[in-house]
Parts: sequence; C-alpha cells; structure tokens
Amino acid sequence: MAPVSSFPRRAASALAGAFLIAGCGAPAPEQAAGEDALTRTNCGIDVAVGAPPERLYAAYQPGIEVAHALGLSDRLVGTAFLDAEVLPEYADEQAEAEYVPTLPSREGLLETEPDFVISGYNGFFAENSPDRSVGTRASLRELGVQSWILSPLCPSEDGLTDRAIDPGSVRVGSVYRDLRDLGALFGAEENAEQVISDMRERISAVEEQVEGAERPSVAIVSPGEDGGYRVASGIDFGTRIIEHAGGVNAFADLTEKRNVDVGVEELVERDPDVILTDACCDAGLTTQDAEDEVRAITSDPALEGVTAVAGGDVHPFLFADRAAGVRAAHSIELVAAHIHPDLVEQ
Amino acid sequence: MTGATAPPGNRHATALPAPGEPGRGLLPGRAGRAAGLVLAGLALAAACALSLVTGNYTLSFTDAASAVAAPAGSEADRIVWHVRVPRTATGVLAGIGLGIAGAVMQGLTRNPLAGPGILGVNAGAAFAVVVAMSVFQVGALTGYLWYSFAGAALAAVFVYALGSLGTGGATPVKLALAGAALSAMVGSATTAITLLDASALDDFRFWAVGSLTRADTGQLLVAAPAVLIGACLATAVRRELNTVALGEDMARSLGTRLASTRALAAVSVVLLAGTATAIAGPITFVGLVVPHIARALTGPDYRWIMPWCVLLAPAVLVLADVLGRVLIRPEQLQVGIVTGLIGAPFFVHLVRRRKLAQL
Repeated sequence: MAPVSSFPRRAASALAGAFLIAGCGAPAPEQAAGEDALTRTNCGIDVAVGAPPERLYAAYQPGIEVAHALGLSDRLVGTAFLDAEVLPEYADEQAEAEYVPTLPSREGLLETEPDFVISGYNGFFAENSPDRSVGTRASLRELGVQSWILSPLCPSEDGLTDRAIDPGSVRVGSVYRDLRDLGALFGAEENAEQVISDMRERISAVEEQVEGAERPSVAIVSPGEDGGYRVASGIDFGTRIIEHAGGVNAFADLTEKRNVDVGVEELVERDPDVILTDACCDAGLTTQDAEDEVRAITSDPALEGVTAVAGGDVHPFLFADRAAGVRAAHSIELVAAHIHPDLVEQ
Repeated sequence: MTGATAPPGNRHATALPAPGEPGRGLLPGRAGRAAGLVLAGLALAAACALSLVTGNYTLSFTDAASAVAAPAGSEADRIVWHVRVPRTATGVLAGIGLGIAGAVMQGLTRNPLAGPGILGVNAGAAFAVVVAMSVFQVGALTGYLWYSFAGAALAAVFVYALGSLGTGGATPVKLALAGAALSAMVGSATTAITLLDASALDDFRFWAVGSLTRADTGQLLVAAPAVLIGACLATAVRRELNTVALGEDMARSLGTRLASTRALAAVSVVLLAGTATAIAGPITFVGLVVPHIARALTGPDYRWIMPWCVLLAPAVLVLADVLGRVLIRPEQLQVGIVTGLIGAPFFVHLVRRRKLAQL
C-alpha cells in the first residue's frame, strides 16, 4: 500500500519542483506532501513525509548502520562508502543490500529511485565537496527525495560542508535524537526505542564496571604518511567514547579540529597509557586489519619508551568505531575492555 | 644582456667575466667569498644544532648534546637518534641535492627559472607515488620512497632521451621542452588518478607538500651515497658550466665537450634531485632560489656557486624545518610550506635589493 501512496506524492513533488524551477511560485514541497505529513527538523530543514518512505538510500558507515538498526534493511535501495565491516548484527542484512564502494553521482543515486536519503556525513549534499556530491538537499526535495544528515555533522546551511554544531557538544544523546526522529518518519518508533534502550543499558553497564577505577590516558592514533601521527582531538566523538569507557583522551586539550596531525615527539611527550589505532576505510575492514597499524606503532623505535608501547597496550581500533552513530555502545565496550581489562570482559 | 662578446645569433649569451676574474657578487674578492663560505658553514652547523634541540619533546642543549655524544637508551636519546637526527640528516641531504641540482640545471640550460624540476623529476616522482598509492595500494605504513625515486629517475632519463633526438644532441632548449611536455603529460595522469581515487588523493596531498620526517635511517644510508656521487659529478663539470654560460658556440671554441658535459650534468641532476624528492618530497623552491642567492653573493662563477649551494641549501631547509616545528605547536608545519611562505618574501627582498647576478 505504501508504495502506491508514495508514488503520486513523489510525482506531485516533482511537479512542484518543476514549477519552482519555472519560477511560478508553486507551493513548497512540504505542503505538497499533504496535511497529514509528518515533519521532523534535521539540520534546520523540515523533513516531511506523507507516509513512511519505502526506498531508502544510505551513504557512509553511520548512515548505513542506523538504517539497519532501525530495521529498515529491506527498504534499502542502495548503500555506499563503508569505512569498515558493518557491526556483526547487521552483517547478513548488509550482505543483501546493494553496495557501491564509492559515493554515487547524482544520476547514480537517482537511478535507484530513492524517496529518502540518509547520509552519515554532510559532504554528500554539498555543492562544493571534496568527495562526490549528489546535489543539495533542496534540489533533491524538488524531485520528491527527502534527506537526512546525522545531526552531529549538520552543515550551517544546505549545500555547505562546514559544521553548524560544535563537534565538542556531540554526545551519545545526539545519536538517540536522530534515532527517534528517523524512527518516527519511517514508522519504526518501536525499533528506535528498542535500539536506544539497548545502547543505554550496554553503556551504563560499562560505566558501572569502571566506576571509581583509575582513568588511564588514551590516544587514538593513526600513523601518517610522513612518519608523524594523526590523533583524535578533544572535540572528536572518540573522546566521549573513551570517557564512557573510563579513560581520558591524552589529547583532550586540543579543541580546534577533530583530527590533528602531530609529530612523533608530541606523542612521546604526552606518553599515553593506552594507544588505540584508527584504521580506515574499506567495506571489508575488520579489527584484524588494524593490526598493521598496531605493528607500525609498536615498531617505531622513537615510541619504545611510551607507556602504552612499553606495556603492550597498543590495541586495534577502527576509524568507524569513533563515529557518533549506533556503533557507540559497541565502541565503548571495546575501549573499556582494552583500558580496564581487569574490570570489563572483552 | 649586452651581447658585446657574444657571437651574433646567440641570443642567450650574457656578458660574463672570464672565470677567475673578480665576480660581481655582494662579497668582494676571493678572501671575502672564502670568509663568507666559512660563515655559511657555521650557519649550517648552527641550523643542525638547533634542529637537534628543537621539538615538541622538551630537551635542553646539554640533554641533546649528551644524547648525541653518549646515548644510554633514555627517552631523550630515542628522541634525538630516532626523530631529530634522521630529520636533520634528511634536511642536509635533500638540501645539498636540491641546491646543486638547481645550480646545475640553471647553468646547463642557461635559464634562470630552471630548477631541479625542469627535467620532469618532480612530475615523475609524483606520478609514481600516486600510482603506488592507487594502483599498487601501497599504504603510508610501507612508504613511497623507492617509487618516487624510480619515478624521478625514469622521468629524467625519458626527458634526456627525448631531448637528445634530432640534430645537435640534448640542447638546453630541447631538454626544457621535453621536460615541460613530460611534466604536462604525467601531471594530468596524476591529476586524473587523484580525482578518480579520493583516498589516494588524501595521502598524496601530504606527500606533495614535502616533509623531512618521512625517511628512516636505513633509507638515508642509501640516499647519502647517491647524493655524494651526484655532487661529485656536478663538481666535475663546474668549469664547463662556466663556459656553457658564454653560449654554446663560445663554449665549444673554448674546448668544452658539450655532449659529455650535458650527460654528466644530467646524471648528476637525476641523482641529486631524484634522491632529494624521494626522501623529502617535491620541495622545488630551494632548488630554484638557493643558487640565485649563491650567485648574488659570489658572482657567476660555478666554482664558487657550487660550494655555496652545498652549505646554504641545507641550512635553509633545516632552518625552515625548525621553524615549522615551533610555529603552530603542537602541530607541525611541513617544511615545504615553510620554505615557500618564508623563503619567497625573502627572495623577493633579495631580488629587489640587488639586481640578481646574471647567469
């Protein structure tokens, strides 16, 4: 039933879009969706659906995983650009989904006839993006395609690649809010609540286990091209993950950018107790693949004296693990097991 | 270009005092130039010393000195020996390579804008690195050093072969044209790959800036003899470069064997610039500017320009790297950015203060 009802709506929106282009001042597409349209605001844009979207396109790891988490796997018409293997609980669903390793062009996206697009990062809808872009959200809405950017990465305006939200203010709660809103739009409220309460439970279980324990300093580190290292700063969501897991980010005082390239000396100077790697970006990437980075770090003679290296506390971790998404509970458990092996089981 | 002594039809010839005559540099006379050379040597030594004590890890002069003199396995020793010594050595080797290669290319092609890049070595190295990143999936962890050296060498050999075709052998104009053609061709292939493969682009952006922190000790031990041999070859043709500056007909009539001079010079540039690009990335600016600074100081005699480049270019590069460590702490500014940002205005100042000594 739903596809039947959504088709005329898309046609109507497309028509409205055509009028807009013609400059005839046609009604806004939101109104075209009808009186009973359900609206949620995302990044300052009203996203309205007359009925739950049926053809979902998901881009980037956090976008794809949130779709699976909400139980929308069978509505996926396409997925693109994973940084790592999806969480094991979504592996079967992802194996059945259409997947392309690079972002689609606008035509490539529209070919899949989506009525809703979720993106994990804002560059997907940018007008001037370093990655491939499918056009602004407004331009997609004119074709009847609604869109959603996971809110921690909202740009200040549609089509830009900047960030409206101070990345340092992103909390696990930001993920819950997106889950609730998307759950409502897709008619999957129960799934959303289920995912949220699961995450809550798992995270507070970890917090109880590590409560009162000493909080080791942790650095999320990736070996760079020129012998230096890239670290996750204090405003990266990785810092929140480390905090929930009972540690502190050794680079928490850096707050200008999320990722900072520091030289090897800075890493020695900070002397973290635990080092987590930051391996990225391939759809088949697993924690095992991060062992290369572990080896690179442990075999750097300059780092021999760093507490984490000397104590064998360099652990595989993935870039995907530090995104603000449904992976957060998994990541917090993983980090806690690494930094409090005596308190938290792996 | 007064052309008074140049044969008609040789438009490139410049009026030049014969080798050995008083030069027109800022430093007067042989004694002045020699004293200046000693000062330049001291400046290089000071730059290296600064490079050993400057960094995010706080070390005093005495800590660094004792780490150099008597390493005992402490944290300070590791920082000095595994971070700062290789970094300084990279700066010295790459500086020598770029400085001499720039001087040789400017002399050989009688083109003041010639740099090590004119034989296509930068374009070749960049292409090889992008291919390594994108096609062979070589990651940052393994490094691109050998690829970039192979790319630089292949490009230079190709340009030299192409420039040697036709009558007259490898004339400067043909070399420059062949280099420009290859750079354009390979450059667009590089751009095409980076556009198609965004993840390759990311690492490439860093590589393309130039940095002294890339090479490890093992790689430097291979790079050092290559630079040494290249420098010896360049030194061997220093007199010939002086006569080439008078114009080819004049050089030939003075008994210069042009073909062998060009071949030796080209091999030395491949070794010097190729190695420098391999260990530090494409830092073109130093190779262009330092020979001009040397020329401004000592006059147009390559027997003086060469030793000045040997001391001045590494001093400039190492100092720029030291600045890069302190300017935006705790991050680091890559040396290629610093040489451009600070070197360019300085260069303009120098040019404005004194009309550059002509080639």
